[in-house]
Amino acid sequence: MRTTLLALATAALAALPLGLAQNVELLGAGATFPAPLITSMADEYRDVTGGRVTVNYQSIGSGGGIRQFTEQTVMFGMTEAFLNDGQLAAIAEAGGGVAFNIPITLGDVVPTYNLPGVQTGLVFDGDTLAEIFLGNIRTWADPQIALLNPDVRLPPLPITVVHRSDGSGTTNIWTSYLTKVSPTWAERVGFATSVNWPTGIGGNGNEGVAGVVQNTPGALGYNSLVYAALNDIAYGFVINKSGNTIEPTLAATSLAAAVELPADTRILVTDTDAPDGYPIAGFAWMLLYENLDANNAIQTRTQAEELLKFILWTITDGQDLAEPLSFSRIPEPVLALNLDMLRQVKWQGEDLGAQVLAEAGY
Amino acid sequence: MAVTTTPTAPRRTRLAEVTPANLRRRYLRDRVMIGLLVLATLVVLIPLLVIVWYVISNGIQAVLEPTFWTSDLGSPARALSGRETGLGHTVLGTLVVDGLALLIAVPIGIGAGIMLSEYPDHPLTPALRILNDTLNGMPAILKGLLAFALIVKPMGTFSGLSGGVALAFVMLPIVARATEGVLRIIPWSIREAGLALGLPRWRVVLNTVLPAARVGVVTGVLIAFARAAGEAAPLLFTAFGNNFFSSAPLRYLTGPVDTLPARLYSLAISPYREWHAMGWGAGVVLLGFVIVTFVVSRCATRQRHQADM
Repeated sequence: MRTTLLALATAALAALPLGLAQNVELLGAGATFPAPLITSMADEYRDVTGGRVTVNYQSIGSGGGIRQFTEQTVMFGMTEAFLNDGQLAAIAEAGGGVAFNIPITLGDVVPTYNLPGVQTGLVFDGDTLAEIFLGNIRTWADPQIALLNPDVRLPPLPITVVHRSDGSGTTNIWTSYLTKVSPTWAERVGFATSVNWPTGIGGNGNEGVAGVVQNTPGALGYNSLVYAALNDIAYGFVINKSGNTIEPTLAATSLAAAVELPADTRILVTDTDAPDGYPIAGFAWMLLYENLDANNAIQTRTQAEELLKFILWTITDGQDLAEPLSFSRIPEPVLALNLDMLRQVKWQGEDLGAQVLAEAGY
Repeated sequence: MAVTTTPTAPRRTRLAEVTPANLRRRYLRDRVMIGLLVLATLVVLIPLLVIVWYVISNGIQAVLEPTFWTSDLGSPARALSGRETGLGHTVLGTLVVDGLALLIAVPIGIGAGIMLSEYPDHPLTPALRILNDTLNGMPAILKGLLAFALIVKPMGTFSGLSGGVALAFVMLPIVARATEGVLRIIPWSIREAGLALGLPRWRVVLNTVLPAARVGVVTGVLIAFARAAGEAAPLLFTAFGNNFFSSAPLRYLTGPVDTLPARLYSLAISPYREWHAMGWGAGVVLLGFVIVTFVVSRCATRQRHQADM
């Protein structure tokens, strides 16, 4: 009797790790903007792996993503603002070693407005947007706006500037654009995930800004393109550095990254030099430790291996999911840089990244 | 004679004829006050009814969908393309986290309540009272932070376990206070009867005082439960959330799980109409959860009245 029980217990114990090894759960968190894409990828990847690998991604904002990545409570983070030198140094100091920023998609931020009788397609340039957000242009009837839109009858409404009240990667992209196109903005405000706004009213989250814009005739705010499109909010076109009027589209956003990129992909592609690129766009990065074993959230080699396989899938086959969901694909040169970074990833000194890539034929 | 009889409707006119102006004024004031009280009650009740009606009318459709209970959420693409999506994992996760919180908070909370009520002379009791009140007044998000530091950081991952502990911190002071309150109203004679039989003090508390107060204690526990079930803040960085059913039953404790209040928020701020509808559905389930709890606690209190008679 006793031996039977013992045998049963041993069998159960032996089966337990096997059962866990078969099913792997990966955990990531961060930016809100790419969340629909990442969760769709997670859905698809679960089917691809026959239900074996579940990727749990929670959108807690770029700041939260960086924070939890640094706290080592998630296996990967997501952010619309890349890790700066200070953050990289802090991570290295905390024992995490090098952290990689791996672009997964591109985000585009569009000026959204509520003007009775005016549809999507109002044209803006950098200087006009900066002047409006500085509070120097106060009415839609301003000659500077009229000059850009000779065929549009602009109502003489006052402009209500709407911005994000929370820290946000969207704000980072928007203000980085204004900083690049306007010396006054660069000097007085600068760029960050949240800034000291010279004028306007705040809304919490993409939905907060959208809500104020939709309810306020004369309002001008900024939103992710996917958000504006899904909620039928009118949005503007922007004249880029090369002088071309660019309609914010997925292709134009991808083209914004068609510039010379640093090996670590830490670059703001706002006000891009690319002639057909949309100027208010930026990467959404996945954050990953070079030494996966340094991350407390990753406990086994299996988890590390499956995580690498998932990331490899998101930047290759998984990219096919992007455009149907109104997300931009990462361009070819970025894929090459991503593969280079993944190749360096290690598990307890073992070249796990290189192995996973070799297995997949990269 | 006519003045002192109880004022029924036909008598009231006569009453007015014979009573001095002073008394009439007092009756008038009485009626005005009652009117104000009725008004105040309505002011409290109407928003409640409006909330219940609004949530149910918006969310009932989502809840009636069978996949709402059997599927997990996945990505918004599922909802947009009409594939199976639901909050089954969220309901399950909520039950696990709330159940765990009850398991932790009830024994400790009742113990603390007994200490406060039955051992007022113990040197630790004043400190316990202050700590309990402080814990009760502490913002819920700080309790989440505490659970994050105590459990999430050492474990290296978010978990249902840490969520349960965070909610237990919310329940604990409420259970302790409620227990103390009901034990106090148990007549002293019951304790004396036990002591007269030669029972030790702890046995008197456990075998005579506590059973007499059982229904009141249960009510306190249910109120604490209802309060904690609606909390999202302590769960943000503990239970964390999950878009899927966990891969193994044990993972509901050791891995991140979804909970209704937190999921409701994330659905509500999403840009998808389909998810907004599911968010309302989550609201209906949460409301149902809490209302059922309160109805059960009401019934329990009514039973006590019958038992007293």
